[in-house]
Amino acid sequence: MPQTQPKGRTFATDSPVDFVVIGSGPAGGSVARELSRQGLDVVLLEQGRTVPPEEMEHDELGALWTGRWSNDPKLQPQTFRHSSTETAVQRNYLGYAKAVGGSSFHYTANYWRFRPIDFNEYSVKGGVAGAELADWPITYEELEPYYTAVEWAIGVSGLANAAPGEPPRSRPYPMPPLNVTGPGVLLTLGCDKLGYSSMPAPMAIASRPYKGRQPCHNCGFCLAFPCEWGAKSGTNHTMVPEALTTGRCELRAESYVRKIETDASGRVTGVIYFDRDRAEHVQRAKAVVLCANGAESPRLLLNSKSNRFPDGLANSSGQVGKRLMFNGGGTARAEFEHEVNGHRGPVVTRISHHLFEPDPRLGFVGGGGFDFRFDVPAMLTALTLPPSEPQWGSAFKKRLKPWFTHSLLGYAHTTSLPVATNSVSLDPKLKDAWGSPAIRTTFREHEHDLRLYKYYQDRTVALLEAAGAKATYRDPIREDPGFAVHMLGTCRMGNDPRDSVVDKYHRAHDVRNLFIVDGSSFVTSGRGQPTLTIQALAFRAADHIGRFAKRGEI
Amino acid sequence: MSTTRRDFVSSVTGFGALWLAAAVACRNSDAPPTDRHGPLLDSPEPARVLRFLTPEEAKEVEAIAARIIPTDETPGAREAGVIWFIDGALATFGEESQQVVREALPALAIAVAKKHPGRARFSGLTEAEQDAFLHGYEKEPLFGILRFGTIAGMFTLPKYGGNKDWIGWELIGQERVFEYKPPFGWYDRPENQRALLGRVL
Repeated sequence: MPQTQPKGRTFATDSPVDFVVIGSGPAGGSVARELSRQGLDVVLLEQGRTVPPEEMEHDELGALWTGRWSNDPKLQPQTFRHSSTETAVQRNYLGYAKAVGGSSFHYTANYWRFRPIDFNEYSVKGGVAGAELADWPITYEELEPYYTAVEWAIGVSGLANAAPGEPPRSRPYPMPPLNVTGPGVLLTLGCDKLGYSSMPAPMAIASRPYKGRQPCHNCGFCLAFPCEWGAKSGTNHTMVPEALTTGRCELRAESYVRKIETDASGRVTGVIYFDRDRAEHVQRAKAVVLCANGAESPRLLLNSKSNRFPDGLANSSGQVGKRLMFNGGGTARAEFEHEVNGHRGPVVTRISHHLFEPDPRLGFVGGGGFDFRFDVPAMLTALTLPPSEPQWGSAFKKRLKPWFTHSLLGYAHTTSLPVATNSVSLDPKLKDAWGSPAIRTTFREHEHDLRLYKYYQDRTVALLEAAGAKATYRDPIREDPGFAVHMLGTCRMGNDPRDSVVDKYHRAHDVRNLFIVDGSSFVTSGRGQPTLTIQALAFRAADHIGRFAKRGEI
Repeated sequence: MSTTRRDFVSSVTGFGALWLAAAVACRNSDAPPTDRHGPLLDSPEPARVLRFLTPEEAKEVEAIAARIIPTDETPGAREAGVIWFIDGALATFGEESQQVVREALPALAIAVAKKHPGRARFSGLTEAEQDAFLHGYEKEPLFGILRFGTIAGMFTLPKYGGNKDWIGWELIGQERVFEYKPPFGWYDRPENQRALLGRVL
């Protein structure tokens, strides 16, 4: 049974707390836990609710359509355009969970590590015209202890060193892999036939009882759904309760920050936020750690402009919101002869990193990995049969069960390049229901990436065919993905204040007592699954930030 | 959904074009004893009362829904009560589609009468006539809205009005359970893994 949330502590708003942490997701939940365990006082602000297990229905309409647990486009509308020459149109383009736990509340829980090449690919392979590639200011070796710490703190299932090329690790996974599913077997079969390596998927889902939580019950409702069993290792089941247990952390859910306040000297003094009744409060703080995700963090910085920071907070470089990246990829769907039943069990149980780095002769910068899955429930399955299938009537009805039980999705996950013109900015007109300027996304895929996605989609089709697919259907690859959930790169970390927003310890170059830690910190996108790296960065940042605090260096 | 949801897919239209809809616009054995159930799958169905559509409108809407997922050897949209889902959606999260539906239904009647002089109700046509008519009607916004509403009403929780007695889940093969034990399907059975892979994963 999922643990009930500990009560935590209560702090006064008018007395500066050591840290305000904005966001309770993989980054913020972890920072709050790590700082409070170091004996520092933390107020953790989260715009979403605490959702109790009894409300975690298998509600596909709510999860996927009406925004029951995610950003609500009616309250928080967004706009989208491909380039600055277009006028942005209202469109819900970026999705994320709105609940305690952030997007780990409803994630699929793929927990890939990056490899050393992800941190220095620019030095190794060089740049690409039209992209702003750079090396990270940290290396894999510096992050490795924190990858391990996260895997053990929250509980990740997997098998260490199960395929060639896996990065060095200081400890094995704390739990064995999850039960393999039909899609996992078929991926492995395709890989065997093509001579590709494959391995058990590292997943932030308990395969055994872990720290009082139940293991996965194989219900199949993972992607976009909360886990009523508490088997998924989201921060709502792990980091946040542990932070509250320290007695040094107060969680304020349904608290929506509209501005980070600064004084004449340029130091952060606190945050202004709305409570659930839209009453405004000011929480004073000695320092702020912003962990609101790769879209909301830059938005809040841009919305926090002042006389001293006329272009937005921490934005003297003009880089806040720039170089928005998602993870790219290519998908194809296929039907098989026998029952696959991918709607049962975890979404992903086997992956292939055989083409983590593609053949250098292809000239690509970046790479990718593969999984097979069946990741959406009945309603969306029926709504999205391939165009080659009947779309209504008796013939449609007769195809539903075979497709639901015998088909799967081959998914190639890839890098995408940092492009200066892809960004999160403030819409000049549209406002949210609280009156703050809305998110405007500007995005067009780089031509290099469209070729990369096509190459990986071709290899996905080859894997499906090698596994015995009866027929395959390629999902279209477009100039923009249509909708995205991995928001990365918008407050880049780097050593040079002229072209990055935070330093290697996530401290804003411009503001000594402001730290920004989440997907926005990424310099490059990684091959597909960013959450473990976001969380490892958060553990590392909190380690350093806590030491700065104790040494009086904030 | 992955969730970069590059994978789904063009051409889903429907009311309440919200969260994923925006995307779609383009697609153990040693577990401890379970001491509680998962979500409340048996939340009560809403009352069978029309909230937006008139009874006359509802009859036409239901007739279209019944061709999108027909009743044949197995129950269809009519038996699943998708009309209650569609009406409820139009009264709530799909309210921005109210006007399209209200204005399209009289236009539908005119189009029906044009094709079948003397008959002005889609619901009065034979099933074969209805299917033939709808084949020329697929691009109309009303059809997109009702296709979405029929499918969503068929497969979402009964508390939203449709999927009565879990007819939709039965149809597509989604069981009403909170947990599964392996093997989940044919391919992951140990004997089939051995035959296919030469090993058991």
